[in-house]
Amino acid sequence: MSAAGHALAIRGLTKRYGDFTAVDDVSLEVGQGEFLTLLGPSGSGKTTILMAVAGFVAPSAGSILLDGRDITPLPPEKRNFGMVFQGYALFPHMSVADNVAFPLRVRGLGRADRDAKVRAALDLVQLGQFAGRLPRQLSGGQQQRVALARALVFDPSLLLLDEPLSALDKKLRAELQEELKALHRRVGRTFINVTHDQDEALSLSDRIAILNHGKLIQSGAPGELYERPRTRFVADFLGKSNFIEGSVASSDAGGFVLAAGPERIAVRGQGAPEGTRRLLSLRPEKIVLLGEGAGADNVVEGRLLAWSYLGADFALRVATPGLGEIRAVLPAWQAAFAPAEGLPIRLGWSADAAVPVEDDAP
Amino acid sequence: MDGIHPPGPAARGLAWATALYLLLPILIIVPVALTDQRYLSLPQDGISFQHFRTVLASPEWLGSIWQSFTIAVAATILSVVAGTLCAIGCWRISRRATELVRVLMLLPLIIPSIVYAIGLYRYFGPLGLLDRFAGVVIAHGVTGIPYVVITVSTALAAFDPRLEQAARGMGASLSQTLRWVILPRIAPGIFSGAIFAFIHSWDELVMVLFIASRDVFTLPRRIWDGINENLDPAMAAVAVLLVLFTTLLLMVDRALRRRSEG
Amino acid sequence: MTAAGRPGIGWWLLILPALLLLLAFYIAPIVQVLAISVTEPEPGLGNYERIFTSESVQRVILTTLRICLITTVLALLLGYAIAYAVTLATPRARGWWILAVLVPLWISVLVRAFAWVTLLRRQGLVNNTLINAGAITEPLPLVWNEFGIIVGMVHYMVPFAVLPMMASMREIDPRLLAAARGLGASRGEVFRRVFFPLSMPGVIAAAVLVFIFSLGFYITPAILGGGKTLMVAEWISLQILDLIRWGLGTMMATMLVLTIIATLAVFSRLVDLRRIFGSGA
Repeated sequence: MSAAGHALAIRGLTKRYGDFTAVDDVSLEVGQGEFLTLLGPSGSGKTTILMAVAGFVAPSAGSILLDGRDITPLPPEKRNFGMVFQGYALFPHMSVADNVAFPLRVRGLGRADRDAKVRAALDLVQLGQFAGRLPRQLSGGQQQRVALARALVFDPSLLLLDEPLSALDKKLRAELQEELKALHRRVGRTFINVTHDQDEALSLSDRIAILNHGKLIQSGAPGELYERPRTRFVADFLGKSNFIEGSVASSDAGGFVLAAGPERIAVRGQGAPEGTRRLLSLRPEKIVLLGEGAGADNVVEGRLLAWSYLGADFALRVATPGLGEIRAVLPAWQAAFAPAEGLPIRLGWSADAAVPVEDDAP
Repeated sequence: MDGIHPPGPAARGLAWATALYLLLPILIIVPVALTDQRYLSLPQDGISFQHFRTVLASPEWLGSIWQSFTIAVAATILSVVAGTLCAIGCWRISRRATELVRVLMLLPLIIPSIVYAIGLYRYFGPLGLLDRFAGVVIAHGVTGIPYVVITVSTALAAFDPRLEQAARGMGASLSQTLRWVILPRIAPGIFSGAIFAFIHSWDELVMVLFIASRDVFTLPRRIWDGINENLDPAMAAVAVLLVLFTTLLLMVDRALRRRSEG
Repeated sequence: MTAAGRPGIGWWLLILPALLLLLAFYIAPIVQVLAISVTEPEPGLGNYERIFTSESVQRVILTTLRICLITTVLALLLGYAIAYAVTLATPRARGWWILAVLVPLWISVLVRAFAWVTLLRRQGLVNNTLINAGAITEPLPLVWNEFGIIVGMVHYMVPFAVLPMMASMREIDPRLLAAARGLGASRGEVFRRVFFPLSMPGVIAAAVLVFIFSLGFYITPAILGGGKTLMVAEWISLQILDLIRWGLGTMMATMLVLTIIATLAVFSRLVDLRRIFGSGA
C-alpha cells in the first residue's frame, strides 16, 4: 500500500431538503494524510457532509475538490474513495475474501492480482485466517475490520468512516480506536471520520470539526478545541464546563477582570472593553480544592451540594453565593475529606483556567 | 403467539370445519379419478388407473399440456424480467412517481380478467395476435408481472440499501451492482415470483377463452370444454395431475424460502 | 439520510420495460374497449341509460351484488376462524394451518369448480350418498343455481380472506391477551374487548379484497351457475361473444371497473392497501 495521502477541500457546501437545511455553507480543508473527524450531535449534518464527499448526496450548493480538482459532479463509483459504512454493509452472501475482493473485481483485476491484494489487506487487519468465513460468522469487531480491509484494498484516495465504532460495546470500542489509529499511521492515507462520540474524536483525530445545526462551529486540533473552545456549544459538547457570565470590570494588556455578582474573576489573555458582557468557560478539572489559608488567582467559597465517587475521580457540586452552582472534578486521592452536605468548601483556579467563549446557546 | 392463549372450543371447531371445507372437495377428486367405473363416481369394486392411462395416451390432452407448459414458461420469463427490473428500479428511486408505478403494476390483480379479456379480443385482432402463441404469452406475461413485483419488493424490503451504496462507493457500475450484489440477495424472491407467475399462466382461462380458439388450445381450455360437454372420470384424472403439479411447485417454493431464511 | 442518494438515469431505465409492456398491452386494450361503451351502437350515454330502463341489466347487477355480499360475509366468517386458529397456534401447528390455506389458494379454479360439480350435481356424490342412506328420495338441487355458486365462490375466497386477517392478527402483541386474562377477563371477553378490535384492520382489508375479487368472478359462477344464474362477468361475455352487443357489454365492464375502483378509493382511507396486496404472496 503506497502511502499517498490526498488533500480534500470542501467549499461552501450546502444541502437543503425542502425547507430544511441539513448542511449550511460549510467550508473545510483536509490535509494530505490527515485524520479529520466530523463531530456533532445527531442532526448536525455531519453524515450528510460525509455522504456528499462520498457522492451519495448531491449538494444544493458548493463544491468538493480533491487535490484542487472539482469532483462534485462525479458519481460515487467514479470517486475512488474507500468507505466504511455504519453497520459495515458487508455483503452477507459473500465470504470475507469475496467482500474484500469486490472493489478489485469491479475494476477488472485478474484473479492472481486480486488474491494477492486481498491477502495483504486481510493481513493488514489481522484477519488472514478468516478469509473463507461469511460475515455473519464473525464478531462485531471482526466485521468492522473486514469493512476496513475492503475499504482500503483498492488504494482509495480517501477513507471515509461513518460512525465506524458505534455498533460495538464500550470495551471493544476503545481497543479498536487504538487499532484504527495505528492503521492510519501505517497506511498514511487521508481519513475522514464521522462520530457523535467526543472521546472517540479526541483520541483518534489529528483535527476535529465540530458541527451543530448544519453549521461548522469550530475546527482544530483536539487539544486546541478542548483548551480554547470558541463558543459555549463547543465547550459544552467537547467535555464538560462551568459557565460564568458577567461584565468586564477592568482590563489591561495581560487580561481582564470579570465582575460576576459579588465575585471578581481574573482572566489572563487579551483585554476586553470595560463594561461589556463576557461568558467564561471553566473546566471542572481545572478547579482545585483549597485548604485553610491556601491561595489562588481566583478563590470562591461555597457549600457542598452533592458528590459522586468515580473511582479515579471525585466529582463535586458546590453551591456558591456569588456564582451559583460550580462543578469541580479532582483526582480521588486528593479528596482527603469526609463529604457531607453543607460542608464549607473553598475552590480556586488560576487566571489561565477560564477562557472567554461566545454565547451561542439557543 | 406460541400457544400462550389457546383458542376456545368454538373457534377451534369452526376453524377445523373450514379447513375440511377447503381441502375435502379437492381431495375427493382423487378417489373419483381412480374409479373403475366409466362415469364420475367413487370406486365400486377396486381402484383403476385406466383414466390416467386414457389421459396420458391422448394426443389432445398431451398437446394441450405441452402448449400450456411452453406458454407458461415464456410468459414467466417475460413477467420475471420486467417485474424484477421494475421492482428494483422502484425500490432504489423510491419517489412519488415510483409509488404510482408500483400501484399501476398491481392493476392486473385488481381489474377482473373478463374486462382485460374483452379488451384483448378487440386489441389483438388488428395486430394479428388472436389465436397465436405470442398473443397468449403477452397476455399472461403482462398479467403475471404483479406477482413478481410483489415478491421481489418484499425481498428488497429486507435488503439493506447501504449494500448498494457500498458497492457503488467501491466503484461498481449499475450492472455490476445488479449482478453481484442485488440479484444474488433477492434470488429467493425472484424465484417465488417466477413460481406464482408460472402458476398464473398455467391455470389462466378467461383470457384464453377470448383470444385463443383452435391453434392455441391450452390445458385449462380443454378442461373447460370437458366440464361443459362430457363429465367423465378422465377429467378427474387431469384434475389430480394438476393438483399434484401445483402442490409440487409450492413445495419447491417453500423449501427454497426455508433455505434462504435458515 | 443515508438511504437517499442520487439515483441515476439507469435506475429509471430498469422500470421502463414493465411500464411500456403494461401501457401497450394492458392499459391500452382496456381503455380502448371501455371507450366503446360510449361510442357503440351510437355515440352517447345510451348504454348507461339501460341501467335505469332495462330490467335484465338491473337483475344482473342485483344478483351480482347479492351473491358478492353473501360470499364476502361467509368468507370473512370462515376465514376469521382459520386466521384466529393460525395466530394462536403453536409454531409447528401454524405451518400446517398455513399449508391448508395456501394449497387451495393456488389450486386451479377449474379443478375446484369441477370438484364441486362432482360432489353437488344431481347424480353427484352428496345426493347419491343421501339417497342411499335413505335421507332423501329426490336429489336436492345443490348446483346450477345460486346456492352452488355461493358454495364454490366462498370456497375460492376463504384463503384470500385469511391472508390479510392473519397478517394483522400477527401484529397483535400476545402479551396483551395474557395481560387481559391476568386482569380477570374471561376468554370471551379477551376476544371481544381486546383481540377482535385489534384485528379489525385485517378484517376490513379482507372484506375489500374478497368483495372486489367476487364482483368480476367468471369461471366458478359460469360452471356452478349452469347458465341460469348470471353474474356480470358471464353476462358481459354473453353480450360480446354470443350477442355481439359490444356497447352493452363494455358498459357493464366499465361499471364493474368503476365499482371496484370506488370501493378501493373509499377503503384506502381506512386500511393500507399495500397490506391487502402485499400479503397475496
